[in-house]
Amino acid sequence: MLFNTTHFFVFLAMVLALFYALPRALRRYLLLAASYFFYGSWNYKFIALLLALTAIDYTAGLWLERFPPGAKKRAVLIGSLCANLGFLGFFKYYNFLAANLALALAKPAHSFFLDIVLPLGISFHTFQSMSYVVDVYRGEQKAVRSPIDYALYICFFPQLVAGPIVRARNFFGDLYHWQRPTADDVSRGLFLLTLGLTKKMAFADQFAQVANRYFANVAANPGMLTAWSGVGAFGLQIYFDFSGYTDMAIGMAKLLGFHFPENFRRPYLASSITDFWRRWHISLSTWLRDYLYIPLGGSRHGAWMTYRNLMLTMLLGGLWHGASWNFMIWGGYHGALLSVERMVRGGRPAGEEWDWLYPLRALLTFVLAMTGWVFFRAANLPESLHVLGQMYAGARGQVLLAPWHIGLALLALVLALGEEKRGWGERVMRAPAPAYACALALMFFCIEVFGVIDASIPFIYFQF
Amino acid sequence: MKRGLACFLAGVALFSLDALLFRTRLYPSLLEPDSSAGLFELILWREQQAQSRYGDNVVATLGDSTFAYYPRVANERTGETGYMFRSAGVAGSDPRLWYYMLRDLDPAARRYRAIVFGVRDYDDEDGPYDIANEMADLHYAIARLRLSDVVEFARSFHDRSLAFQALRGGLLKGIVYQSDILAFLAHPLQRIAYVELCHRGYEGWTYDYVETSRSMAGLRIDWAARKATFPPEASEHQRDTTNRYLLYEPAPQTGTHAAFRRAWFGRIIARYRGSRTRIVFLRLPRGPIPRPGNLVEKRSSSIREFASRPGVVLCDEHAFDALEHPELFQDAIHLNHQGCTRFSAMLAAEIARMLGPPNREPAVK
Repeated sequence: MLFNTTHFFVFLAMVLALFYALPRALRRYLLLAASYFFYGSWNYKFIALLLALTAIDYTAGLWLERFPPGAKKRAVLIGSLCANLGFLGFFKYYNFLAANLALALAKPAHSFFLDIVLPLGISFHTFQSMSYVVDVYRGEQKAVRSPIDYALYICFFPQLVAGPIVRARNFFGDLYHWQRPTADDVSRGLFLLTLGLTKKMAFADQFAQVANRYFANVAANPGMLTAWSGVGAFGLQIYFDFSGYTDMAIGMAKLLGFHFPENFRRPYLASSITDFWRRWHISLSTWLRDYLYIPLGGSRHGAWMTYRNLMLTMLLGGLWHGASWNFMIWGGYHGALLSVERMVRGGRPAGEEWDWLYPLRALLTFVLAMTGWVFFRAANLPESLHVLGQMYAGARGQVLLAPWHIGLALLALVLALGEEKRGWGERVMRAPAPAYACALALMFFCIEVFGVIDASIPFIYFQF
Repeated sequence: MKRGLACFLAGVALFSLDALLFRTRLYPSLLEPDSSAGLFELILWREQQAQSRYGDNVVATLGDSTFAYYPRVANERTGETGYMFRSAGVAGSDPRLWYYMLRDLDPAARRYRAIVFGVRDYDDEDGPYDIANEMADLHYAIARLRLSDVVEFARSFHDRSLAFQALRGGLLKGIVYQSDILAFLAHPLQRIAYVELCHRGYEGWTYDYVETSRSMAGLRIDWAARKATFPPEASEHQRDTTNRYLLYEPAPQTGTHAAFRRAWFGRIIARYRGSRTRIVFLRLPRGPIPRPGNLVEKRSSSIREFASRPGVVLCDEHAFDALEHPELFQDAIHLNHQGCTRFSAMLAAEIARMLGPPNREPAVK
């Protein structure tokens, strides 16, 4: 049940109607049932896995709170983390490790393969669950007493399969102090839901068709302009796809009285790679910062340890996305860029200055980000190297994008600049009814005219 | 409350914007002439333009690509017959589309002396798929669909998901026009120039059009073994159409084709009830070697049922059997140049014979 389907909107409408029709005490049961139904609609067999992880971390949370600091408490934490990482490792990384082991032993690549289906959204809900356990261990979060509440935290359908990764304190704050959404929440919710749908259907899916065409056979599409337009299309696709999904998730949550954190803040306007990671998949980058980079020592132990920590964090961040060397390289590439930036910047904080050099810095950041996407999208390392070769040393080639693709990209750029400098989105959400209505109508019109409606193009991050 | 109002206003704004662009002539006048909708509109426009030049005794013909004839040749006999022929047929069209075509081509339902429908068979034979689910119809007729048609049009599709698509497309036409719009945005000036060129030349190109002289001569079919023997020079297309349209395995006869014909021809006939316009059905030449009738048991004949309605005339079923020769067909279903030429003359004579002498009653008062 994809977010951009009629089935999903029927489901959402029914959930919303029932949610507000039921007495307050029953609403969490409804949300839980709806969330398991949503998850089960993909593959009901994985509900058992979700329940197992929920049970383990729910119990771990209670034990962590009960035990005083010491070996027992640490053992519970390690046990919980091992369970989470064990599930993740088995489902997501087993075949990757098996293939590499086979390679090392000079055996055929599939020698140790298992027929494993990756459970939907496993990377997201394990990270969310682990953050809860670590927070309880650190004493930053009280253990949740109700298994229903904890289960709902793990499987809440708006963010179950592709985030944002919500911290326990935020979610339970909303759950325990639930308040009926205000008119402002409803405005924002509807606006974000529509905006997300527009980003996905009218922008991401259109660019996806160009990117998919290019990456389906990169050898048959030689040339510098060809490669840049194929990679650029993917860069735009992945942004609109993932941020569109996130906007919809945040919007739906708002309509149900929950407040999810911002996950994207116009990343292609970033003036540096550091700035880029403050704007791209914010809930993951802050998770990696809080639960990996800082525990590794962060920037507290000198320059070289900082670079090491950045590299390790980004390598693991890359691996989180998928079990392949390409994702590792993508993570390592960003780790290296962050380290180089920090080296060049010295002790100065990475700002978001809008000076006369900004366009140049933003363009350079955009180019570097696009270069990184090659590893993310290409099927393997040789293909990545081929695409990079075409991008930086290929013959002229031809642009794969139609003029209206470029028009869409420019429209998005203007809107992003307006949002960045003038807060256009915020203004529209608070605008009087006619102006707000026009904005919604324009977004729906965009879907009508540009939306890829009958071809089902899944959200990219659903595979993670 | 305010947000409820805003959502309502958003809906109104969306439909208004859609209507402004797609329910006026604003965008439909720029449709790609080679697209389904563009071709349908171009033919409709051409026939509307022709109405003022052709006087009162005009016979309009409607059919799909198998109803191929030369109006030019038929009109060479106007001196004898008294009738002028115009073809409003569209390749790939069906009675559902002809209904919408005629509704806008002849709003008063009395412009023509006769409307001639060419069908492959008076009996009803179900094909491998339900003709009511032909989604191309939405794309052909989209510019003709009014808001009041949307529910009825959507309900005429038997498959629920297709009915939903038709409903959605009928309400928000931009969805149906989408690929046309994107192609227009890619090369807007080229499109405008091409549309202008087509408007200038389409009448001449189609009126003077000459079919290929390629033929199916040498084709032999062993019906018992259901096997065709082709001449060595037969093209892939000729072999393919022979297999698809002549040698096919009959589908289960469910009556859907009959229901479809009864519904849409029925609506057309109802529109012309009491009009000066006669509705004529004719059976087209069936093929280079027609299929024997015993290959499938046809359970009804909706066309023959119409014969009892006032103003409806059926042409002799065998009137054009003489044309069913491999030498006169370019493939398994389409007449070639020689076939079209002979068919045009025969058609003009047969229709004139059926309608009798032209009268002087004016078409539209």
